[in-house]
Amino acid sequence: MSGRKKQTILIVDDSEMNRSILADMLEEEYDIMEAEDGVEAVAILSKHVASLSLVLLDIVMPRMDGFGVLSAMNQNGWIVDVPVIMVSAESGSKSVERAYELGVTDFINRPFDALVVRRRVVNTILLYAKQKRLIGMVEDQIYETEQRSTLMVDILSNIVEFRNGESGAHILHVRTLTDLLLNLLTAKTGKYPLTPREIAVITTASALHDVGKIAIDDAILNKPGRLTDAEFAIMKTHTTVGADMLQKAVPGWMTAEEYETIKDTAAAGAEMLERMPIRQGEALLKEAYAICRWHHERWDGRGYPDGLKGDQIPISAQVVALADVYDALTSPRVYKPAIPHSQAVGMILDGQCGQFNPLLLECLRENEEEIRRAMQESDDTAEKLQQRNVRSMSEEALRGEGGTVSERTLRLLDYERMKYRFYAAMSEEIQFEYTVSPDMLTFSSYGSKALGLEEIFMDPRKNEKLAQFMGEGVMEEILARQRQTTPDAPDTTMEFVLHPEGEDRWYRVITRAVWSDEQTPELRGFLGKAVDIHNEKMKLSELEKKAATDPLTGLLNRASARKEIEQRLARHPDGNFALAEIDVDDFKKINDELGHMFGDRVLQELSRRMRRSVRSSDICCRAGGEEFFLFLEYNTDIERTFQRIYSNLCFTVEDRSVTVSMGVALDSAVGREYEGLYHAADLALYTVKRTGKHHFRFYEDSMNDLLTEYGGRTETEKERTI
Amino acid sequence: MTLQDCYAKLHGDCDEVFSRLRSERLVQKFVLKFLDDPSYASLEKAMADRDRETAFRASHTIKGMCQNLSFTKLGDSADKLTEALRNDWGENATALFEAVKADYAETAAAIREFKTSLGL
Repeated sequence: MSGRKKQTILIVDDSEMNRSILADMLEEEYDIMEAEDGVEAVAILSKHVASLSLVLLDIVMPRMDGFGVLSAMNQNGWIVDVPVIMVSAESGSKSVERAYELGVTDFINRPFDALVVRRRVVNTILLYAKQKRLIGMVEDQIYETEQRSTLMVDILSNIVEFRNGESGAHILHVRTLTDLLLNLLTAKTGKYPLTPREIAVITTASALHDVGKIAIDDAILNKPGRLTDAEFAIMKTHTTVGADMLQKAVPGWMTAEEYETIKDTAAAGAEMLERMPIRQGEALLKEAYAICRWHHERWDGRGYPDGLKGDQIPISAQVVALADVYDALTSPRVYKPAIPHSQAVGMILDGQCGQFNPLLLECLRENEEEIRRAMQESDDTAEKLQQRNVRSMSEEALRGEGGTVSERTLRLLDYERMKYRFYAAMSEEIQFEYTVSPDMLTFSSYGSKALGLEEIFMDPRKNEKLAQFMGEGVMEEILARQRQTTPDAPDTTMEFVLHPEGEDRWYRVITRAVWSDEQTPELRGFLGKAVDIHNEKMKLSELEKKAATDPLTGLLNRASARKEIEQRLARHPDGNFALAEIDVDDFKKINDELGHMFGDRVLQELSRRMRRSVRSSDICCRAGGEEFFLFLEYNTDIERTFQRIYSNLCFTVEDRSVTVSMGVALDSAVGREYEGLYHAADLALYTVKRTGKHHFRFYEDSMNDLLTEYGGRTETEKERTI
Repeated sequence: MTLQDCYAKLHGDCDEVFSRLRSERLVQKFVLKFLDDPSYASLEKAMADRDRETAFRASHTIKGMCQNLSFTKLGDSADKLTEALRNDWGENATALFEAVKADYAETAAAIREFKTSLGL
């Protein structure tokens, strides 16, 4: 055992202690994974289903209970490959029944007994491993045959059985025994080297051995007493009639005329087999033909229809003949009761029921007990098969387009998942997937790490943590947008502010809706990715800001200041606002005497002082040249406020003293229109300039008189014109 | 104090647990671990909040652990409380919780004493 990879068991229980008791019992021989509730279990299963050998599952757990896990395992088809043992103190027959219905293999009750736990685990894993291997073998060997013919074979053989009034199990018995004898025979001697695939084909074909009985009159077929010679002669034709039917099933095998001329001769069968068109390679029909025609031949050459002798009879027909006789003996018929197994075997070995290949008889004698058991089991399975058919049909219906998931498909799926996960991890993208049923949102593992969220959310629309991350109603909005798409145009792009770990960040969410391909498509869910566009978005707003500001001073320019001011006025109808217009005294002179560089420094210093003099929510603006605006909200004592501001705005740069003139307009005096405020402030500034500069004034109505004196233009406006 | 004494104090079945878990080391490990399990605290809070579902689960977990450790007395009272809370708020739930509370205190005290005697 050493060096072999340990098998992995997933233990799902909300109590840490219970998990560790189980882990302690099992960890020597198995690798253990643990999940503390159903949601975690589903997450682990979705990633590791292919490598898990067993799940030990508690029932009562928070978030998602054991039944929830079982439902998810059924919905995803995992239950087929991973056995589940229920571990619980729950012993109510309702829970037990429900668990079995959901596919649980076994129960372990608390308190745990170390020996019982180990034994159950070992048994369950072995049983499943064997089943999986068998499934794999059967699948590989009869895959094609099954695809093509099983259904047809079943239908045909059922019709025959029905007409023959045989027990429903006859075909199954013949198949089982044919399969068993062929295997025993190939194991015993190299004389009949059949591959497992050939054995599978013969076994399937054996179901058709009596297909020719369709053509036999009911009165003869089901006559309770002995047949007359004439009746028996008709009865015997079922062999050739069956063969004829199969011949007609393969177009081009032989023309009808050709066949007519040879069909009643002993050479017919051999020639037929010879001439089977290779291209069609219908191995099944070829075997069926041989079986139908020759399953009443005898080793001693006294059988019908062709009187073949010894190994002239194909081995397939020899084996089916024996199986047919055995089942006829051991099953009740209208004319006789069932004969017990050992007696039937004795009769066959004694040659009371025909002559058979001695090698075949040896197989029968040597394996009498094994055959008895296999036939018994096949009886049991016959019953179970019937039940299972009903179940699997309803399961398929439940699954929609379903069909059972084969190992092969699972392996492929596993590979695709691995590939997907690899690319998802490499791309460093937040990817996610939503399914309507089960109502589940899954993030890629990179995504869940990047966002600090779990990978799987059941009922995502009711999840608080997710709501905090996405914001109220965002999930609904994404879903609503999916429903507006069509299967032909399933993609959407949206932008949201999401909240990873409490932060506000911009994301672009790109999704593809997944629609079912029915006549009226249904939304199955969506795939998507979220791209963090926060920096991009911020850069954009940075650019917007740049366009709005004056590059020298960093203050808003006139146009954007006006926009801001108008917004502010509209948004706060109850606030009191003041607009101040500021001009640097004798700026031309400063520029002329000390150069533009110095002039720029003066403007920058003034801007800095303006900003420092007001709250950050107030608006500072360089309107152009040496003209500035301040717009601020005030509460009381506006006089003192502007006194303070004004004194801050007069300063010295390198011994050169700089002074400003300032005119202030209050909305209480001139109203709340920008134009009105601006003109009033401008007029006040003009008045200041007219009266010696280097001070500030509030607008008064009397200032309008000055204006008319100067022909309706303020000084600044005049200067600008010049 | 031996593990046997501890079981006697908390009214558990020492022989039974040994025969099931088959290792004194394991039994001791899990007995000591019992004190760290948050289920009882969760039960106490849920009873105060009248949060039936959480109380049911916590009580159920305690019952399961007690079964595993053969803490017979606490297991029995937790079992009764679990059943009283299974479908609705049973009328005697509060009284049954008082029993669990007393048995838990007794059990925890015995384990703590045992732990101290081990020098832990």
